[in-house]
Amino acid sequence: MDTSTVNLILKTLHYLFFIYAFSAILSYIILSIISGKETINYLKKKSFVNYKDILSSTMSPSITIIAPAYNESLNVVENVRSLLSNHYVNYDVIIVNDGSKDDSLEKLIEAYDLEKIDYIINEKIKTQPIRSGVFKSKNPAFEKLMVVDKENGGKADALNMGLNISTSKYVACIDVDCLLIEDALQKMIKPFLDVTNAQVIATGGVIRIANSCVIKGGKLIDVNLPNNLLIQSQILEYLRAFLLGRMAWSRLNGLLVISGAFGIFDKKIAIDVGGYDTNTVGEDMEIIVRMRRYMEEQGRKYRVTYIPDPLCWTEAPDNYKIFISQRNRWTRGTIETLRKHRKIGFNPKYGSFGLLSYPYWLIFERLAPIIEVVGILYFVVLIVLREVRWEYAFTFIVLAYLFSVLFSIVALYSEELTFHQYKKKGTGYKLVLLSALEPFVLHPFILYAAIRGNIDYYFNKNKKWGEMKRKGFTTEGA
Amino acid sequence: MIDYQYLIDYFEEFPFLVQLVWRISGVLFLAIVLLTIYLKAIRYKLRKKENEHVTFKKEYEALLVEYLYAESEDEQVSTEQQSIILKLKNHLPIKYKRKMIISVLYNLMNEVSGEMAESIKTLYYKTGLIDYALKRLKNKNWYVIAKGIGELRRFKIEEAHGAVIKFIKHPKNEVRKETQLYLVNLFRFEGLSFLDDLETPLSEWAQLQLLEVLQKFDDQQICDIKPWLKSNNNTVVLFALKLAQIYNQFEVKDILIDLLSHKEKEIRICVIEVLTNMYGIEAKEILKTNFNELSIEEQLSFFGLLENLVVPSDEPFIEKHIFHKNFEIQLLALKILKTINIDKFMGLDKLPSNKEVPEMFNLVNNV
Repeated sequence: MDTSTVNLILKTLHYLFFIYAFSAILSYIILSIISGKETINYLKKKSFVNYKDILSSTMSPSITIIAPAYNESLNVVENVRSLLSNHYVNYDVIIVNDGSKDDSLEKLIEAYDLEKIDYIINEKIKTQPIRSGVFKSKNPAFEKLMVVDKENGGKADALNMGLNISTSKYVACIDVDCLLIEDALQKMIKPFLDVTNAQVIATGGVIRIANSCVIKGGKLIDVNLPNNLLIQSQILEYLRAFLLGRMAWSRLNGLLVISGAFGIFDKKIAIDVGGYDTNTVGEDMEIIVRMRRYMEEQGRKYRVTYIPDPLCWTEAPDNYKIFISQRNRWTRGTIETLRKHRKIGFNPKYGSFGLLSYPYWLIFERLAPIIEVVGILYFVVLIVLREVRWEYAFTFIVLAYLFSVLFSIVALYSEELTFHQYKKKGTGYKLVLLSALEPFVLHPFILYAAIRGNIDYYFNKNKKWGEMKRKGFTTEGA
Repeated sequence: MIDYQYLIDYFEEFPFLVQLVWRISGVLFLAIVLLTIYLKAIRYKLRKKENEHVTFKKEYEALLVEYLYAESEDEQVSTEQQSIILKLKNHLPIKYKRKMIISVLYNLMNEVSGEMAESIKTLYYKTGLIDYALKRLKNKNWYVIAKGIGELRRFKIEEAHGAVIKFIKHPKNEVRKETQLYLVNLFRFEGLSFLDDLETPLSEWAQLQLLEVLQKFDDQQICDIKPWLKSNNNTVVLFALKLAQIYNQFEVKDILIDLLSHKEKEIRICVIEVLTNMYGIEAKEILKTNFNELSIEEQLSFFGLLENLVVPSDEPFIEKHIFHKNFEIQLLALKILKTINIDKFMGLDKLPSNKEVPEMFNLVNNV
């Protein structure tokens, strides 16, 4: 190749990287503007809502909370107590013990005075069989609780068991280790009952990080910012994602994912599409894409909505090993879902779902780590070839860094003006400082995990969920 | 000075793009600094507001309690009360304080009844708070109007009816909802007259709210719901069905039977459920005859009706469906058969076809 050809290739690559980075930044700006507007609109509307009416109404629709549990012995009793203390009149809780090897079931039997009952399951979705049986409490105080002990089949399989058993119109699928705020169900059910021009098929809630927060009797008492830098960075990351991203996608009716930690679904649609896919590690994203695809193919008007209130609190990984394992799984889940439903991508038949949401996820979520790594490698090659024009390189690195810091601060600003959860003195300063540090302490590991996820997806097909050890919430007095 | 000049010269030697990006970076940096300062200010303000909230709340609560107990028998408004009114009036121009006074007044109103509640309402008038609420109705922002209507509802200001009713067809859902709640809260079933010509959908959420309000009153005698059952607005029909169920409107049974053939499936299902509660035995034969044309959901609702209203003569029909393809219907059929003819139910155990449902048979048998 002569010099002019090499130059042409280099120039083309320069432009491609530039266009990609520019469009990514532009999309973040647009999404955050839409998010801001939508959040203001939501808060305005919320100020008129009297959730007490739905709380006491016996005519309110039924909801089943389905919580799969696998080796959750450490916290399961406390967590179930939290689920049972929700302020909603017409709900029940199904704990699916997914073949736990520990004493989760025994602890539940003892704590909630459970007894085995005769029960047959309408197997609308195929699942692993029942192991010890179905249990209900002898104590009327826990009449809302049902525990199902089944053979291990993974989270998706356990959720499917819950879908088979539930007799409610709506199901709230949550992680058993999550802490639900008492009015979570009232707030999450509202879009299903309030939207009249389309059918709401699913609603997602914000997930907040509960490490270092104080919990008492299954209730959140005090919100604290943890000392661990990794957890702090994840708090910032969640604020950005939920406050500046998902709200916009909800407005555009383009949400492709509802966190597996907490979401409410129209049970009939969830069953009609075949329930959760047991062959993916990204079952939370996959079911939403499948439900949307089903509605689009049926030509039915639908919405997937999102509630920005901090309703669900969960424990985040506190060390890099577990964090990387979690993000690796998220990456594989995204790849699997996008590949499985590739028919949707750029397909005008699916409207904005096919022409906007899917391409965005493909280009700015799925391909982002790959493009970033290619960019880094390309930069290294340029250094070796002494082709770097440092005045440009340095300038753009500074710009990218400042943009990332500013974006995080906008997220903090948005949090303060809306839900203002981190109230303690000195926390604001720490969070601002964190905005400056986060690109160094979190982003490189997210990138590494995403690349590992890609490698595992293509070359290590047997890899499944990975490790997630829980330490449990901080309870008052502990 | 020389150093600065050197930097400027150095900067100007950069290509245009680099200069532009540095300028943008400068703007971003400035934005970061300003937002950080602003963030600090907001956090400080929020903390201060929270503290003030507690202080003012205590202050106003004490004042209002003092007002309530300062009532004299001979005068309508005592001198002490007049001075409290004056004090409160002076605080009203400040929006934050006004909001706080309204909130304290409303909370207090919920805790007392009779003369004391009336006294609070008088205070609402005398302080001029009502004028602020009525002024809100003239605002061009929908949320301000909705807030105003909500306040008038909470303080039960019937005199504002004329001003509020104008918003019943407001393009914004929240304003319409607040107007509907105002009407029903203050005028009970009479307030439901807006349903007569409601063209927009009445969401399930709005229906539940209205029902909750109505159920707080002891009225068992409700208005005529027949026109709403015949409404072209399906959501109005669904709401009327809920009313029929809650208030046992036996006199609309004939209309309910007609509604069994309504074009909307959701309404048909709801009608079956209402008829189940009303002992609508008349519906049984109609539904039995059309059973195969019904959707699975309707069939299931019908079996729910049969579970409550079954008589021995229904046995052949039930028997026909004990092997229904739908799990829930099959289960209900077995349960019903067991109630009306235990011998026949036990006999199923010996049938070869029961092999398909041994578990279900055992379960029903053990119940």
